[in-house]
Amino acid sequence: MSLFIIVALPFLGALLPGLMNTAGRAACAGVTFTVTAAALIGLLTNAPAVLSGQVVTAGFEWLPLLGLNVTLMLDGLGFFFACLILGIGLLIITYARFYLSRDDNMGEFFTYLLLFQGAMVGIVLSDNILLLLVFWELTSLSSFLLIGYWKHLPEGRQGARMALTVTGMGGLAMIGGMLMLGQIAGSYDLSVILQNREAIQESPLYLPALILILLGCFTKSAQFPFHFWLPHAMAAPTPVSAYLHSATMVKAGIFLMARMWPVLSGTPEWFVIVTTAGLVTMVLGAVIALFKHDLKALLAFSTVSHLGLITMLLGTGTAFGAMAAVFHILNHATFKAALFMSAGIVDHEAHTRDIRRLGGLRRLMPVTFVIATLAALSMAGIPLLNGFLSKEMMLEEAWRTELYGAPWLVPALATLGSLFSAAYCFRLIGHTFLGPVRDDYPARPHDPGAGMWLPPAILVVMVVVIGIAPFLAEPFVKLVTASVLGEAAEVPKAYFKIWHGLVPALYMSIAAVVGGLIVMAIFAPMLRLWDAAPRPEAKAIFDRLIAAVVRLAERIALPLHNGAFTRYGAVFAVTVFVVGYYAWSTGTVGPATRAPQPADPVAIAGWLMLVAATLGMVFLHRNRLLSLILIGIVGLMVSVGFVFFSAPDLAMTQITVEVVTIILLLLALNFLPNRTPIESTVLHRTRDAVVSVAGGLAATALAYHYLLRDAVVTPISEFHLANSYKGGGGTNVVNVILVDFRGFDTFGEIIVLGIAALLIYALTEALLNGPVRARLLNRLPDQPRAGDMHPMMMVILTRVTMPVVLMVGFFIFLRGHNEPGGGFIAGLVVSIAVVMQYMASGFGWASARLRYPYHGIIGTGVLIAGLTGIGSWFVGKPFMTTDFTYVRIPPFNEFELATAMLFDLGVFLTVVGAVMLSLESFSRLARRAHMPDVEHPMDIDPSRGDPPVASVPTPAKEGV
Amino acid sequence: MESTIQADLAVILPEIILAVYAMLALLGAVYTRKDGLAPMLVWMTSAVMIVLAILIGSSAAGTQIAFGGMFVDDGFARFAKVTILVSAAVVLVMSQEYMQRRDLLRFEYPVLVALSAVGMMMMVSAGDLMALYMGLELQSLALYVVASLRRDSEKSTEAGLKYFVLGALSSGLLLYGASLVYGYAGTTLFSGIIQTAQHGEVSLGLLFGLVFLISGLAFKVSAVPFHMWTPDVYEGSPTPVTAFFATAPKVAAMALFARVLHDAFGGAVQDWQQVIALLSVASMFLGAVAAIGQTNIKRLMAFSSIAHMGYALIGLAAGTALGVQSMLIYLAVYVTMNVGTFAFILMMEKDGQPVLDIASLNMFSKREPAKALALLVLLFSLAGVPPMLGFFAKLGVWQAGVEAGLVWLVVASAVASAIGAYYYLRIVFFMYFGEDTGDERDWGNTPVLWGVLMASAAVMIVGIVNMFGIEGAAAAAAATLVN
Repeated sequence: MSLFIIVALPFLGALLPGLMNTAGRAACAGVTFTVTAAALIGLLTNAPAVLSGQVVTAGFEWLPLLGLNVTLMLDGLGFFFACLILGIGLLIITYARFYLSRDDNMGEFFTYLLLFQGAMVGIVLSDNILLLLVFWELTSLSSFLLIGYWKHLPEGRQGARMALTVTGMGGLAMIGGMLMLGQIAGSYDLSVILQNREAIQESPLYLPALILILLGCFTKSAQFPFHFWLPHAMAAPTPVSAYLHSATMVKAGIFLMARMWPVLSGTPEWFVIVTTAGLVTMVLGAVIALFKHDLKALLAFSTVSHLGLITMLLGTGTAFGAMAAVFHILNHATFKAALFMSAGIVDHEAHTRDIRRLGGLRRLMPVTFVIATLAALSMAGIPLLNGFLSKEMMLEEAWRTELYGAPWLVPALATLGSLFSAAYCFRLIGHTFLGPVRDDYPARPHDPGAGMWLPPAILVVMVVVIGIAPFLAEPFVKLVTASVLGEAAEVPKAYFKIWHGLVPALYMSIAAVVGGLIVMAIFAPMLRLWDAAPRPEAKAIFDRLIAAVVRLAERIALPLHNGAFTRYGAVFAVTVFVVGYYAWSTGTVGPATRAPQPADPVAIAGWLMLVAATLGMVFLHRNRLLSLILIGIVGLMVSVGFVFFSAPDLAMTQITVEVVTIILLLLALNFLPNRTPIESTVLHRTRDAVVSVAGGLAATALAYHYLLRDAVVTPISEFHLANSYKGGGGTNVVNVILVDFRGFDTFGEIIVLGIAALLIYALTEALLNGPVRARLLNRLPDQPRAGDMHPMMMVILTRVTMPVVLMVGFFIFLRGHNEPGGGFIAGLVVSIAVVMQYMASGFGWASARLRYPYHGIIGTGVLIAGLTGIGSWFVGKPFMTTDFTYVRIPPFNEFELATAMLFDLGVFLTVVGAVMLSLESFSRLARRAHMPDVEHPMDIDPSRGDPPVASVPTPAKEGV
Repeated sequence: MESTIQADLAVILPEIILAVYAMLALLGAVYTRKDGLAPMLVWMTSAVMIVLAILIGSSAAGTQIAFGGMFVDDGFARFAKVTILVSAAVVLVMSQEYMQRRDLLRFEYPVLVALSAVGMMMMVSAGDLMALYMGLELQSLALYVVASLRRDSEKSTEAGLKYFVLGALSSGLLLYGASLVYGYAGTTLFSGIIQTAQHGEVSLGLLFGLVFLISGLAFKVSAVPFHMWTPDVYEGSPTPVTAFFATAPKVAAMALFARVLHDAFGGAVQDWQQVIALLSVASMFLGAVAAIGQTNIKRLMAFSSIAHMGYALIGLAAGTALGVQSMLIYLAVYVTMNVGTFAFILMMEKDGQPVLDIASLNMFSKREPAKALALLVLLFSLAGVPPMLGFFAKLGVWQAGVEAGLVWLVVASAVASAIGAYYYLRIVFFMYFGEDTGDERDWGNTPVLWGVLMASAAVMIVGIVNMFGIEGAAAAAAATLVN
């Protein structure tokens, strides 16, 4: 049968039990059994080829760009494991059919079981390591569902959680290792990887790959220090424990180590890591198992111990060790599955698994007794049972293994592990089945029906047969060993027999069994000692570790993301600094191409004032008025700087913008307390100071660096200089750029400016209609107000200068095309003139005299600019093409008229409208807050206590 | 002259259609002043987006260039656009019922989403620094507003404000970088910059420009350490908006990232590879570690998305066509997973009020087995556990990384994903093995959300057959970008 069908059968079959749930328990189990049996038969049809040493393959490309092919391979090792999985699977299914109670959802259980089975078969038949990974994690997933099947048991939940956490993380780590392996070998196909032993072992990636892969194997096979999860997964229903935790899933790690043995083993790293982990696990598991009272916990730790044994054998890196490992895998699967099922029978019939409450079952459950005893004795290593044979081989291998330079270490520990192993086996038999019959069992124990005892019985028959006639198993074991070894080593010549003569292994074995009996004899005092001794509880450690990690994660993450904006800003700034430093340190710094200009005393003085004002800001910014003044100085010095660098347009713009901004801020000061409160600690401020000084220095350095170097290409300004007069008809390049070269941009900008002003208006409107209005109305100024709200001098001054300022604005506008000036600056100048009226004479007075709403001014400006642009269409030119001509109107000199000027008018109007609309919007806030409804400039405020004035002039009389 | 304009306009027809649609919708809704139109607008917008996605997806292969190279319509852009449009459309549809019930559905919402989608389409097609910035800002401005959609909630407005200020900071940085690049390359066209920026002769100015550009873009993909806004914004925004944030904009930003680095700086891979790799590794680890302590599922998803961007960045760091291809696949899978997960989160509620504590999922499997199973599949996929699709996406970027010699990055990433698996699985434990609080909740169950959840879960499983063929499409797309 094709390998694809063998792997696919369990997956496809997994649908059936769920669908047949209503058809009854027997039907569910029956269909599951049939599917598994079909897969097994399919596997066996390939047996002749495999047994003759061939490798059966099948494959197609799946996601070739990912290097992921579905290639399956059936060699001796795969065949061996697949037989174990499917064969024991059949027995478990039969057993589970009778084990599960009526309340359990059979369909669900068998669906998970088949999923798991399919994943396991997939692992052992995969030729592509990525495919193997997929199946690997699928076993984690389905085993999670199986372990958690009994949801009502809290320890089941905990167990499932820990099992998945440990094996899942191990599996993810393994992916990294597999990727590296594939990278070294140049392929993800096992058949290719296994050919590349030298290349892999010489690669610098060998060690990380090895560690990551072993991490996956050790977690899966519960090797120290990851041994703790397996016993806790035992809350699962017994069929699951028997299947997953004895015969199949936990062997997946072992399988992978065996699979990778030809390429990974034989190095000192492999030897030290694997052998040590195996030895420690073996001894530790055996010791803990002895003192467990729960039958299944005892078996679980014994499984851990035996897995350690196999791992150690694989770790030695010799062919004999590998053979012993293979043999023990077979033997362990048979006796351990039988034992688990026996334990399940005891639990099922006696309703307890606590050894302390059992004993004397020999008479009540004779069949179970025979099965369990034979299996346990095999595990203890008693001759004529299969466990003895492989244990003997293990001890022989241990005798020849030298670890950490101490030749006695491995044999001694191996013997110790065997000793405890024998001891707990004896305890299992003695305390459960032997002894007097008790009368306080939770239920009346008796042998179950054949459906439950037959599956373990079949296994025990194998235990005995192999134990008595090892030569029957020998060819098969050697075949499997050959496929484990690959081309790395020759299959050893050693024969399987019960009697090897008086070799060291025999003495060690005898010592172990005798020691085990002695331990049994003194078990009671030892147990007291054990209970009294403080010892680390792996689960508690795991829980504490997880809790600690979670706490650590919280301690890292929570303060970092506490929502404080300053912190985010600091992280941002520091990162940019570091990134900039990276660029600086890796880039090529060319020599300076420009000489610095000489600094004259005026420039230095200006610079000093700028720095002084900035520093003053930093230290005095809590006083808001003071900081406003200092900001003014900064702005002024910047404007002066523009003058110094011969940029009059910029200077004019800057200074007018400066004025408008300061006025705006002055308006805002009305609503703010005099001083900014201190909200940050000294530590914070120091941090901020360090960050900002570093950022400032970096920016300075960067700017200085660029100032000393020419740009790589000729600046675009040369084009503008050359074409400004020729094409745009203006000698003021800045203005020509604004209204001509980049007229389209400017058009967009004035639209944005207009929208922004409208938005400010709309927002303040909305604000004033909302709850803010009441707050503003009830707000009391925190300081006494000046009685002279509209100082007479100021009112007169602003009114007198108004026409002058308007004239200046007009002048600036007109000259803009050729001299510094232009619509933008003119707009700002005019705005300032109007704003001054508001400030001096009051809002009511000024707005009463406003003929044209600002909205309209903005709209007109944008329209004029737009129409000017459209105008060029009428003469067949593209949008925004400008033209100019010279006219002479007596008595003036000849002057220029350009369409650009019309456009500039649009800019001018928009600027005026936008600035005024936004200022007006803001000032309305102030007005609502504490202004009387009618304001009269040049009025006397009665609240100041002055003698009342006889007659108050009405606004009408006072018009301009 | 005019004929080229028409040709140019034909190339950006999808963008024009969407933009005009958005503006018409806005005007129509403003003049009728009806939020009652909003549900219809939501469906219409997403219908328009789907139609456009089909249009773009079925358009002829080949590269078309418009506006003198400023706009590039190639396979890469089309792949990203289809992903963006489809995910935005699905998220919109998902949000309709949720927002309407909570009285959050304003007509501006679909319009803003559509406008940001226009921006995103612009971004992935940008062939010039100016087009890049324009697209980026169009997208971002819409997102800033959407983030603070729930105006009466302090958290929402704070989130929007933070996002805006930090976003403005990063935009400034990006602009600074762009102007430096212009200054030292003499052009803003990517095709011109790549002539200048060849490895070994990248001048300091250009390098500064590059790293500042990278910093600005890293903010948009929320790569660590520019990620600080993400958890706050994800938590503060209304859940549908969070779902939107986690999907389409991420795709757009990553695609833009790839476009800039390959189209403009493809000759200097060595100069940016390490920076991207560091961003990637920091994102993966911080995303994994910080999510562990989270109990709010939206915050958790924020860190999850940070980590996922880290994985996607591996593909970018590889600097190869395979890397870009795997990144595109990663993004497509990531978006699908996130859409499904957020469909679930949108259904998390109690008595009509949203519940975001993951502890509320205790023993959820007992109450709603189908939904729990779907979420389980999605979470396993997010964790990258085989055989879900998420694993294959991860595998793709890892292989690209290994092939580009970034083995250390891939190993670190495997470790980070092992750490990250913990918090995804924790939710699964809660659902399947949590304490049964006996809390019978009235769970929201709208057909749309249910359908999206189930569909995306199904994709995670069925997709492993052949990834729906996106593998080939992504390969073709990547080939147009990297050559």
